[in-house]
Amino acid sequence: MNIFLKFIRYISAFSLMGKISTFIIIFMIIIAVFAPLVSPYPPDKSSGPALSPPGSKHIMGTDDLGYDIWSQIAHGARVSLIIGIGTALLASFGGGIVGIIAGYKGGLLDKTIMRIIDIMIVLPDLPLIIILAAFLGPSLVNIIFVLTIFSWIRPARIVRSQILMLKEMDYINSAKTYGAGVMYLLKKHFLPEIFPIIAVNMIRLSSRAIVSEAGLSFLGLGDPASKSWGRIIHYATNFRGIYYTPFWKWWLLYPWLTLIILVLALAFLSQELEKVYSLRK
Amino acid sequence: MKSIPIDVKMGVDYLLEEQNILEVKDLSVNYISREEKVKAVDKISLNIKKGENLGIIGESGCGKSSLALAIMNLITGGEVTGNVFYKNTDLLKLSEQKLKKFRWQEIAIVFQNSLNVLNPVLTIKEQISEPIKTHHNFSKEQIARKVTELMELVGLDTRWEESYPHQLSGGMRQRVLIAMALTCNPKLLIVDEPTASLDRESKTQIINLLNYLKKKYKFTMLVISHNMKTIKQLTSRLITMYKGRFVEIGLTEEVIKNPEHCYTRGLLNSSPELFPYKDLWGIKGSAEEDTDKGCAFYSRCPQSNQNCQDKKPELAYVGVERMVACNQGGIITFLDARDINKTYKLENGNYLQAVKNTGIQVRSGEVVALVGKSGSGKSTLARVLVNALKPESGEIYFLGEKNENERATKMIGGMQIVFQDPFTATSDRLSVLEVVTEPLDIIKWNTPALRKEKAILLLQEVQLPTTSSFLNRSCQNLSGGQRQRVAIARSLVTDPKLLIADEITSMLDPSVQANIIRKLKELQINKGFSMLYITHNIDLAKKIADKVYVMQDGEIIQKGSSSEVFHERGYNYVSERTESGIRSFGGSK
Repeated sequence: MNIFLKFIRYISAFSLMGKISTFIIIFMIIIAVFAPLVSPYPPDKSSGPALSPPGSKHIMGTDDLGYDIWSQIAHGARVSLIIGIGTALLASFGGGIVGIIAGYKGGLLDKTIMRIIDIMIVLPDLPLIIILAAFLGPSLVNIIFVLTIFSWIRPARIVRSQILMLKEMDYINSAKTYGAGVMYLLKKHFLPEIFPIIAVNMIRLSSRAIVSEAGLSFLGLGDPASKSWGRIIHYATNFRGIYYTPFWKWWLLYPWLTLIILVLALAFLSQELEKVYSLRK
Repeated sequence: MKSIPIDVKMGVDYLLEEQNILEVKDLSVNYISREEKVKAVDKISLNIKKGENLGIIGESGCGKSSLALAIMNLITGGEVTGNVFYKNTDLLKLSEQKLKKFRWQEIAIVFQNSLNVLNPVLTIKEQISEPIKTHHNFSKEQIARKVTELMELVGLDTRWEESYPHQLSGGMRQRVLIAMALTCNPKLLIVDEPTASLDRESKTQIINLLNYLKKKYKFTMLVISHNMKTIKQLTSRLITMYKGRFVEIGLTEEVIKNPEHCYTRGLLNSSPELFPYKDLWGIKGSAEEDTDKGCAFYSRCPQSNQNCQDKKPELAYVGVERMVACNQGGIITFLDARDINKTYKLENGNYLQAVKNTGIQVRSGEVVALVGKSGSGKSTLARVLVNALKPESGEIYFLGEKNENERATKMIGGMQIVFQDPFTATSDRLSVLEVVTEPLDIIKWNTPALRKEKAILLLQEVQLPTTSSFLNRSCQNLSGGQRQRVAIARSLVTDPKLLIADEITSMLDPSVQANIIRKLKELQINKGFSMLYITHNIDLAKKIADKVYVMQDGEIIQKGSSSEVFHERGYNYVSERTESGIRSFGGSK
């Protein structure tokens, strides 16, 4: 209850845009979690006439196989969010640990890590993601893994620079003179200081991951077993001459719109968090 | 107590005759008032060599005047035990009649100057002629001639001959007293507070007069005074007396430069003549009721421990020509850093040697100022001292043990540092309480509740509020002055013996600076810790420092007591070098 109140208080400091974004994201999460409850039809079974426009029976219409679009979007939200959150968590923590080690230890280790990061930066990520995804084969875990490989760099660099800065702080120096070990410094000083920045970064990473996954699915490299938003778009755009028919108005538009709304909401939220964080600083 | 050997080289005339003129053995003076017995002089042994100038200092009531009177066998209303040998004659065993031969003729005393020493109904001439009459069979003319002679000798105009004591100034009366003491050419002159209650000019005149007479008549002199300047200019050997005992004996110049007993240092630190710029702080407390057990200075000593309460210290050599009565062998050295070298590698591949072969010593109870312009290596040295930076070479000893792995900084009663910038020295995020208890949390001292209690105590000491709302306030909501005080409280929470303060007030406004400095000084007086105060502010250093190290380009270019460095030889040097340095760096702080 206490945490909830704190959360409310935290949110109340946001601007209108931030509040709306937060609401949208929470809404999306609820839909994803309760997908079987909120969707009237199964996402992978024909539930009505093919390609029927939005109406009272199918609020977002159906696709060429008569699958309900809304049910697909609701179930697809799970995949998108799992990939988004999974990649963000993995990349942030992985990158964070790498950044802490590089920043705190310094020396040769730091140099090596930084050079690896430099290489990763100059590599064109999208082509590589596509190649890797194709090479590893389509599965949810593989996609998260591939996306993580190209996402940990940013948090690593940010954390490293933060640690480098914190390391020079005299309160860290004093703590060290009192005999504080690395674990104490991490727990008491480093992690609490870098967490807000990581959090902002995580949101950004998740939106990137969601778009990348959509991109991969769009290219047909996604997990064929999972109904992600990208996959709906993939099928829709693969429907020959969809732009000459009215079908795109629901088959393509709705998944595209949900994707755009979620990514925008995430972008606004990260911006908001950054603003609130720097204000508190 | 053993008799004290004296082997002070005094000068040529002294070298020719090396015998003792006066030997005091186990002299005790007890005053008995009602049922109370007051020990004024407690088993003192002392040898005075011929031609020597000996000084005795001590607070009022330490027994210095009683010692002088006992030597003259002039004590009334008290019991005197022991021996006072003047050229192998025990003065204490002589009858009044026989004593007359020694008094005035052999040993004379210049009494402490006051109106009632002189007979108010006698003129100056009669006053001076009195001792002449009692000791010589002179005719009236001879006496008159002698009086004139003496008055000229002490620089007193003969037109004052017919004046009465109350018509004379203090300086003149002092001259009369000296003239009286010199009537019979004594071999030993005891001078009791020759310059007390005189103005600066008269003081200098009396000191010059005594030095002149001393040279002319080659008498031995025992000067009792609490004025350090007088002692410094009149004597070559100095004894510090406390509660009827000697606590320190040494060459005057050395003792004043570098006292080895906390009491001597306290006396010196209370002397504006020696420290014209520094804030004066007396020795805390006052001499308490005498107990036979333990060190008499125990309750007032900044470095006393349990042992001092039980064990009576004996005079013992601590160095060449230096004896101290202290259980801990005099003032303890807290920090001793030697041959520190620290080089930074710069971005462009060059090397910058920030600290070159530098050493620094801090003893118990002192404020050592490390001054130098920005970039002279002061802060680097400070960081090396607390193991926050690793030097290429050099050794750091804290209380005689090597300071490695933060040994000195992570113990209770160790060494702590307060950094310059309060905004980086305390975390924005942590609450006041968290910051202050952090050292205790890290060393896992007692229970969290006790840590909090201790933190609150320290916050009170640095004059910060201790309401729970303040304790839980995060540091980013505090002002610079408050944050600096929080940092100071944090460093004091482990009861350090040595506090290294690195430019702690340079970011603060003058009023807050003054408050913090006074607070620290007060805490230092009460808790008895030492401070290494690092600053580029010469004026501030003058105010607080007992000792000064001047640093330039990574080297100590000058060190000594603050009176030496600022007042005597080095003042212009220091001010020019450092202040111009600050100017050229454009620093206003």
